[in-house]
Amino acid sequence: MDTFINLFTNGIATGMAVFLLAVGLSIIFGLMSVLNLSHGALFMWGAYVGAWIFGLTHNFLLAVLGAVFAGAVIGTILERVTISRVYGNHILQLLLTMGLMIVLGELIKVVWGPNILISPVPQILSGSWDFGGIILIKFRMFTIAVGLLVALAVYLLLKRTMLGIVVRAGVENPEMVQALGFDIRKVFTLVFALGAGLAALGGAIMGPLGGAISPSMGLDNQLLAFVVVVIGGLGSFVGSLAGALLVGLIGAFVAWFIPEAALAVNVLLMAVVLLLKPTGLFGGGGV
Amino acid sequence: MKRWPGYVFAGVILIFLLALPLLTGSRATLNLFTHIFIFSIFAMSYNLLLGYTGIVSFGHALFFGSGAYLIGLLLKNAGPGLPTVLGGIIAAALFALVVSLVIGALSLRVRDVYFAMLTLAFGELFFIAALKLRTFTGGEDGFSFSVPPMLQDRVLYYYLALLIFMLISWFLRVFVSSPAGAVLQAIRENEQRAAALGYDVFRYKLISTVVAGVLASLAGALYGLQQRFVSASVLALDKTMDALMMTIIGGSGTLFGPVVGAALVSFAQEWFTRLARAYTIFERWLILFGLVYILIVLFFPGGLLQAWQRLAPGKRTRPGTVPVPSQPAAAGEKQELTATRETSP
Repeated sequence: MDTFINLFTNGIATGMAVFLLAVGLSIIFGLMSVLNLSHGALFMWGAYVGAWIFGLTHNFLLAVLGAVFAGAVIGTILERVTISRVYGNHILQLLLTMGLMIVLGELIKVVWGPNILISPVPQILSGSWDFGGIILIKFRMFTIAVGLLVALAVYLLLKRTMLGIVVRAGVENPEMVQALGFDIRKVFTLVFALGAGLAALGGAIMGPLGGAISPSMGLDNQLLAFVVVVIGGLGSFVGSLAGALLVGLIGAFVAWFIPEAALAVNVLLMAVVLLLKPTGLFGGGGV
Repeated sequence: MKRWPGYVFAGVILIFLLALPLLTGSRATLNLFTHIFIFSIFAMSYNLLLGYTGIVSFGHALFFGSGAYLIGLLLKNAGPGLPTVLGGIIAAALFALVVSLVIGALSLRVRDVYFAMLTLAFGELFFIAALKLRTFTGGEDGFSFSVPPMLQDRVLYYYLALLIFMLISWFLRVFVSSPAGAVLQAIRENEQRAAALGYDVFRYKLISTVVAGVLASLAGALYGLQQRFVSASVLALDKTMDALMMTIIGGSGTLFGPVVGAALVSFAQEWFTRLARAYTIFERWLILFGLVYILIVLFFPGGLLQAWQRLAPGKRTRPGTVPVPSQPAAAGEKQELTATRETSP
C-alpha cells in the first residue's frame, strides 16, 4: 500500500510538471500550428533560473516567479525575432525550432556548466506528512496543488476572458478573428510567451521534484510532452491534462517494476495512439 | 550556361583527393578527410529525405548508430576478419532496411509534425536503450574492437572511404534523376498535387526513408570501422543534428550541398576541438554552429552553396533547388491562414 501511494503521488506530481510543459506546446500548436521543438529548452531554462535564484536568495516564491519571467521573456524574443518569420511553413518551423533548442541548451552549459546540479527543495516544503501511516511527501503535494491551480487558471483564461475567446476562435478560424479586427500576430506573441512561461514554471518545479537538474532534462521532458500531446490531441487543453496524468502514472509504475522500460512504454503508447486515432484521444483537428 | 566548368571543378577536386595521401604523411589529415567522406554519405542520405522528399526526420542517428554498433558487436564477438566486416556491413544494411520499413510504415501515415515527433521519439528510444543495456553496448563508455590489419592502414582506409563515397554519390545522382526521384521532388513541391496525379505518395516516401536509412547505416558502419570504437553517442540526437546542420549549411536539395556542409562542419569541428584544449569556452562551439544554422534556415534556405551562387556576380541562380521557398515575414501571415484552412477538413 505504501508503495502504491508513493508511486501514485509521484506519478501524478511528475504528470503535473509535464502538464505545465505540454499545455503550452499544445496551445501554441493549436493556435499557430507551430510545433515548438525548443519548448523543452524553455522548460530547462526555467529549472536552471529557478535553482539559481533560489541559491542566491533562498526564496522559493521569488525563484519560481523569476523562472516564469525568464521563460516568458525568452519566449517573446524567440517568437518576435525568429519564429514569426516562418509562420505557415512547417518544415522551416521544425528546422528552426530544432536549432533554437540546440542553442538554448548549449547556452545553459555555458552559463551553468555541463554537469548535473543539485536543485534543493525549500525548507518549508521539505519532508513529508504522515496521515495514519500514509506518508505524503510535501513537495509532491505542493506540485500537484500548483499544477491543479495553473490548470484551473488556464482553463478559466481560455473559457472566461476575452483573450481566451480570441485564442479559441483563432484555433478554429484565424481569418475570421483577423477580419473581426483582432491583431492575431499580437495574440500569437502573447500566447507564445504564456506557453514559454508555463514551460519555465514546469521546469522550476520539476527541478526540486527530481532533486537534480542537468542539460539533458530539456530533451527528456520534451519527449514526455510529445507523448502527452499526441495522446491527448494537439491543441486540446483537457487532452493535455489527461495525457500528462496518464504519462506520469505510467512512468512511475513502469519505472518501479521495469526501470529500463519506462520511456519505451510511453513511446509505444504514443505510436499506438497515432496509429489508431491520429487526432489523439481528445483532439478533433486534422492530422 | 555551359556545364563544363562544373566538371572541371569536380575533376580538380577528385585529383586532389586521389593525390592527397601522396602529398601529406599526416595521419590526422587523412583521418579528417576520411571523416568528411563518411559524414558526406550520412548527410547526403539525410538530404534525400529533407532536400529531395521534403520530410523532416529527427531520428536519423538511429540508422547511423545501429550501423556502427552492428559492425562493432560482430567484430568484437567474432574477431577481426574480412568476412566478418563484410557480414557486418550486410547485417547493418539489412537491419536498417527492416527498421526503416517498420518506422516509416508507422510514421509516414501522419502529417509532417507528427512524423518529426515520432522519429525523434524512436531515435531517443534507441539511444536510451543503448545507454541502459550496458552489458551489451557498453553504454556511455562504449567498447573498442579490432579491425582486420588491412583496414588499419590509414591510407588504404582513406581510399576505401573515398571509393564508397564516390559510388554512393553516383548512385544518388542516378536515383534522384530517375523517375522515382522525380516523383519524390514532386512530393516535396506539392504533396496533394503529386497524389492527385495518381502517385502513391506513401509508397514513394517509404522508398525514400528506406534508401536514406540504408545509406546512413553504411555511413555508420564505415564510421565504426574508422574509430574502432563505439559508444551510445553514435545514436544520440547530436549525430542527427550533425547531418541536419551539414545539409542545411551546405544546401539541401542539391546533390553536393551536404558534401560542402560536411567538409565545412568537419573542418570547423576539428579546429574548435583544438582551440578548446587551450580555451575551454570553445567546447561550446555548437552554439556558433546553431546560430549559423538558424540564420541559414531563416534567410538562405538553399544553403551556402546556393547563397554563394546567388551572390556571386554572373552566377546563375538555380530555381527549384530550394526545398521550401522562404516566405517574407509580411506574407507569412496570409500563408499561415491558407495553410490552416487546407489542413483542417
